[in-house]
Amino acid sequence: MKGFKDHNPIAVTVYFLAVAGIAMFNMNVVIFTSLLAGSLILFFIYYRTKSAKTHLFSVVFFITMAILNPVFSHNGVTVLFVMNNNPVTLEAILYGCFTATVIIAVLYCFRCFSQIMTSDKLLYIFGALSPKTALILSMSLRYVPLFGGQIEKINKAQKALGAYKDDNILDTLKTGLRISSITITWAIENGITTADSMTARGYGSGKRSRFSVFRFCAGDFLLIGIISLLTIVTLFGIKDMKYVYYPAIVPPKTTLFGVVGYIAYALLVLLPVIYHIKEAVLWKYLRSKI
Amino acid sequence: MIAIKSSKIRGTLKIIIPFLAIPLLVVLGALVFDANKYLLVSLGVAVLAIILFIAGFEKKTTGTRRMVIVAVMTALCIAGRFIPLFKPITALTIITAIYLGGESGFLVGSMAALLSNFYFGQGPWTPFQMLSWGLIGLIAGYLATPIKKSKIFMCVFALLSGVAFSFIMDIWTVLWYSGSFNPGLYLSAITTAIPHTVLYAVSNLIFILFLSKPFGEKLERIKIKYGV
Repeated sequence: MKGFKDHNPIAVTVYFLAVAGIAMFNMNVVIFTSLLAGSLILFFIYYRTKSAKTHLFSVVFFITMAILNPVFSHNGVTVLFVMNNNPVTLEAILYGCFTATVIIAVLYCFRCFSQIMTSDKLLYIFGALSPKTALILSMSLRYVPLFGGQIEKINKAQKALGAYKDDNILDTLKTGLRISSITITWAIENGITTADSMTARGYGSGKRSRFSVFRFCAGDFLLIGIISLLTIVTLFGIKDMKYVYYPAIVPPKTTLFGVVGYIAYALLVLLPVIYHIKEAVLWKYLRSKI
Repeated sequence: MIAIKSSKIRGTLKIIIPFLAIPLLVVLGALVFDANKYLLVSLGVAVLAIILFIAGFEKKTTGTRRMVIVAVMTALCIAGRFIPLFKPITALTIITAIYLGGESGFLVGSMAALLSNFYFGQGPWTPFQMLSWGLIGLIAGYLATPIKKSKIFMCVFALLSGVAFSFIMDIWTVLWYSGSFNPGLYLSAITTAIPHTVLYAVSNLIFILFLSKPFGEKLERIKIKYGV
């Protein structure tokens, strides 16, 4: 048994694709409200941040979108007032609010996704697709801090050689250019040395294999099974979830399939939270036994 | 692609796939799904194009040295994205493409977009950024000879690619926002993005003017010295 983010990266990716995909391509109030709620809960679990600044963007974005849509779209039957000979309708305002909510919900969802999907997990997925690309990706990731360290070394050496002697902007700029030029030459030469070393050790002589710390175990199959089941149930109900926004907002008829679909989607969204609670309870229980 | 022996046919296929098959897919997708599912179709196409390209790259025998150089250039692009306001990522992609070919350019552009988004935020826009930067690299690779020959053409290409990147990303913004393509909204998206577009284009121009000569010399030297 393990927490949600300890599952195989493929299972986690499938989960986020299913959750975001259903919400992005199905403009339904219930669907994206549950996505927003679920993502926000997950966001607070992972980030534990209380500062309002992180959410400021969402609020500003929401207000801008709610104002922008009625300016460009004049569809809708309920005219609230007329501005510059153009009707401003209730439907357009509501539609703007709804799309803004979907976008904000998906943004939060992806922020949680990037918290879970660290670069090593991405490499695992790319490795399954193409070991060569995965190699390029992992080398580039390693090079970024390596170049940073090298720039510092070169900077110190140049300083000892008398750089930054004249205290003016032109000199600083010139030295900066010099240092970046040295770093780039060094980086490319270093890359060639690495490549030769790789060839000498037999890289490319046989079929490329790959190593990864992730395995597929029963828990992952279980997770993928649950995700697929909930997604299929939601998709069955999707025909009964179709909102009509223009010319007038018509919510779909409440049917059994639709309601079951809503419940399935809400469960799908809350799946990581459920895993999290389960882990916390288990932890408490195991500790109480000591 | 591996089964085809003739290099001529392979070369033609390489051009046909990105410029013919993908637009065809877009049209087909719009016909099969109802017209409001542009977003789904465009996202699928972007991901598919990248996967197609990577699969083609996997099958080819590439020198280890060339691969490592691509990784180095990608890392430099990522590091460059931390410079405030001015981003050298497009300029570096173009330079790589000119000296190492369109395939390397595509890889540098798309991989830099993917990896730097770990620092700047992943999202549904990542495949679009990957494709836009990758295509800039690919096209620069096809136009390598004229770009190398004339400095004016190089500057025009850098400016245009900055504008094109902004316009393509705005298409995505509009699609994501309204679900269908609304020309009025697109126009307003472009207008509000004018400062960004200008900044993109100008920073491309500055970086390509400053970087093309030193980078070109370094890459050319490596090519002659080590035969990449």
